[in-house]
Amino acid sequence: MDDLAIRLTGVGRRYGSLRAVDDLDLTVERGSVVALVGPNGAGKTTAISMMLGLAPPDTGTVTLFGGAPAEAVRAGRIGAMLQDGAFVPGATVRDMIELARALYPHPLRIDRILALAGLTGIAGRRLDRLSGGEAQRARFAFAVAGDPELLVLDEPAAAMDIAARRAFWTAIRSSAADGRTVLFSTHQLHEADEYADRIVVLAAGRVVAEGTPAQIRASAGVRDGESLDRAFLALTDLSVATETEH
Amino acid sequence: MRAYLRFELRRLVRDPRLMFFSIIGPVATYLVFSSWSAGDRLEGVDAPVAIMIGLAGYGAVAGVLMVGSAVSQERAAGWLHQLRVTPLPPGRVVAVKALVGSLTAIPPVIAVGAAAAIQHHVELPAGRWVALLLLMWAGTVPFALLGLAIGYGLAPQVAVPVNFLAFLALSVLGGLLAPAGYFPRGLQSLAHALPTYRYAELGWRTAAGHPPTVSGLAVLVAWTAGFALVAAWAYRRSTARR
Repeated sequence: MDDLAIRLTGVGRRYGSLRAVDDLDLTVERGSVVALVGPNGAGKTTAISMMLGLAPPDTGTVTLFGGAPAEAVRAGRIGAMLQDGAFVPGATVRDMIELARALYPHPLRIDRILALAGLTGIAGRRLDRLSGGEAQRARFAFAVAGDPELLVLDEPAAAMDIAARRAFWTAIRSSAADGRTVLFSTHQLHEADEYADRIVVLAAGRVVAEGTPAQIRASAGVRDGESLDRAFLALTDLSVATETEH
Repeated sequence: MRAYLRFELRRLVRDPRLMFFSIIGPVATYLVFSSWSAGDRLEGVDAPVAIMIGLAGYGAVAGVLMVGSAVSQERAAGWLHQLRVTPLPPGRVVAVKALVGSLTAIPPVIAVGAAAAIQHHVELPAGRWVALLLLMWAGTVPFALLGLAIGYGLAPQVAVPVNFLAFLALSVLGGLLAPAGYFPRGLQSLAHALPTYRYAELGWRTAAGHPPTVSGLAVLVAWTAGFALVAAWAYRRSTARR
């Protein structure tokens, strides 16, 4: 019907007195790669939980492809990589991928999944014996195995080394090129800068800026060649912004 | 759902603790202690048969509880959330967990049964062996629910000791390790109120060629209903958080 993969309208969520997400409006168009950036506690993980239907919003509405998140999840249109979740003792990488493949209606071939996630040599390894970076790639494999229309990735590259990161982002760009939608959260601004079509900056549960990397720089008053870090600090912390003005 | 069942069964087979607690432990205990009271009649059957059923039940309850309470770690690690963002319906996860848990009752019954057949030449008609196996499997339902209640209700640091204490109390006081016939009177009536005793009673009655008792079934059903309520409450609470 519409071209939106994700739409959050006036979404709010509290934990006790903490307002984790506050009146959040966010849209992600189909086929785009969107980065969600923000300092710790900005509400990125909470926003992602609500997008995936893991936590209901206190206020506002969340839709995926125009319907309820649970529907899209049930239909196998969503693949997600949460911050943790691959620690299942006793299962191997291959077991986990086979499980994901069986759960989704149109999975990728297993050798393709292993190659995409850079796990080809360690398919037989137990999940509880993986390094941090390998575990993260295993989570990615689980998320992409079903070839979902929308990939939601919460800090996907955090524990990966440089080579793994490069391979990972290449895999992300190639699935976006195939018309898949990708939303990822990150602390690594250069990754958002380099790999996202659009960046959404969250602070204290609200969107403080959004647009292409160039637009983000412009709205923070930072010149084009400069690192996005300055723009980010300026947008998310006013005291730092005024200091850097002088 | 079948893929998830296969996934869980593979994991189970690779778990050395299960092998140790639910098979090797009871078999070794049987081999060492079953001769002590070899001449007695206990629970309406010869002692080697009574102890065989008690220890098979002990192994079965150990395995069933272990699988249920392991849910606690999977929950804490985020694995259950990961499953919830796949097309697998959350109810199926619970159903598979309960089924896989109850299936762990089968190997100890076979293993201890084999030990009894070899050591004491315990002989039962084939039909009774089959009935025994089926009842010892079906009778684990309350323990599967208790395991899930612990797994969904408690954090891993708490779930492990609580699981162990519940197991120890239920199996010792229920007369699975040492026959309740040797207990003082007060402890005996306590044993008769416990699901572990009534679970093993299914086996003792079967071995003797009798149907289950009404009072035994009533006690089992009551515990099952109680554990089911707690498990459902714990499950709902665990999905509401975060």
